[in-house]
Amino acid sequence: MKRIALAALLLAMVAGCELPGDVAPLAPKKRSVAERPAVNLPLALRQSNWWGQGGQGSCTWATMVSLLRWQGRYRTADWVRQNCGDGEWPDDMAQRLDEAGVRYAYVTNGDVKFLEWACRTRRGCGITIRGGQHMVALVHLDEKWAALLDDNAVEEYIWVLRETLIAEWKASDGWAITPIYAPAAPLPQ
Amino acid sequence: MNKLLLCAMCVVAVFAAVVPCLADTVNGVLAEERVVTLPNDQGKWYISVVGDADNARYNEILGWFDNNPNLAKLKDQVQFCPVTSDTAIYKERYAPNVAGLPTVRMQQPDAAVVYEAAGKDIPMTAEGLNAALAGAVGKAQGLRPILPWRRDADNRLNNLERPKPQPQPNTDPKPQPIDDGGKPEVVPPDVPEPEVTLPGWLMVPVCGAGFAIGFCLGYSKKLHEKLLPAAK
Repeated sequence: MKRIALAALLLAMVAGCELPGDVAPLAPKKRSVAERPAVNLPLALRQSNWWGQGGQGSCTWATMVSLLRWQGRYRTADWVRQNCGDGEWPDDMAQRLDEAGVRYAYVTNGDVKFLEWACRTRRGCGITIRGGQHMVALVHLDEKWAALLDDNAVEEYIWVLRETLIAEWKASDGWAITPIYAPAAPLPQ
Repeated sequence: MNKLLLCAMCVVAVFAAVVPCLADTVNGVLAEERVVTLPNDQGKWYISVVGDADNARYNEILGWFDNNPNLAKLKDQVQFCPVTSDTAIYKERYAPNVAGLPTVRMQQPDAAVVYEAAGKDIPMTAEGLNAALAGAVGKAQGLRPILPWRRDADNRLNNLERPKPQPQPNTDPKPQPIDDGGKPEVVPPDVPEPEVTLPGWLMVPVCGAGFAIGFCLGYSKKLHEKLLPAAK
């Protein structure tokens, strides 16, 4: 009997010492509120449109400069600001970006999945509006709303209904373009 | 001959008509254009290293993410954001919420901060920072870091084969798929296993006890033989 008691005592001493109290309880997750717009460019990073050497507006390049800054590519953005300008066609812009070694993606077929991807990954993208005559930055797209940053008036975001924006974009050649680098980190929650 | 030419022209015409129809979209990018695989990296975590561009400590910490293998690996798995204090991004998005410079901050995709250290609170070495980040990732996931001895035990239990050294391939590595993110795998630091050793002073009584037991056993045997002589 004594042996059994001794064995039981030894077993109790050797057995796992981890008490349930040692396990750190999982803290209840705070419900995070996503930043709106997803691409929340500081005012100082928003590039206004400028007149190119050919006397045209440079909305495509201005949009690209803003997006490059958001993605931490300040030197590339400066290079674009100094060396590019005037209106641009998709192929010509792609060629210039290739020459500059910029990593980018674009569509010219009005595929909404591209816009969703760009905003889901917090990169944003330039999109054509007004029948293809102008480009602005799409900085937010959710189930109901879209937000635009117009390089002709960079102080405020323009909020429009998602379907309105998509219809406008598709009727404006459906061109969208964005650089592909790491977007700025979200504001801490 | 004319029929043959006509057939050849028909084949060419059909081919020309079919090829553009086959061009499809991949992730929204026209397949006949130069296709870039779009990274679905919305699940990636963020690491911000914030500081003064001229500050030696800031540049040292930035260098860790290039020179330390574990931190370099981690850098590839996250959205890595070096931020200098002279930028608009810093002034608007970091200055109001950092405790000091330099700062290292790790965030989940939903912006929740899982690790943040500033100034002297940043570990002194790259290994220390890696360990701190590993701990933060584990804590955020409700996990404890797996100690080396436990890893070995798990491997044995799972009958996993040990990696055997292989000669380095001469060919270029195959392109890797784009890392679409998720929780970064921070390599946990090796924790030395505690060695079980007896303190030196304990050896003296143990030896003494052994000697006494041996002496007693020998003496009792002699006494037994004296008192109870063996039958002859």
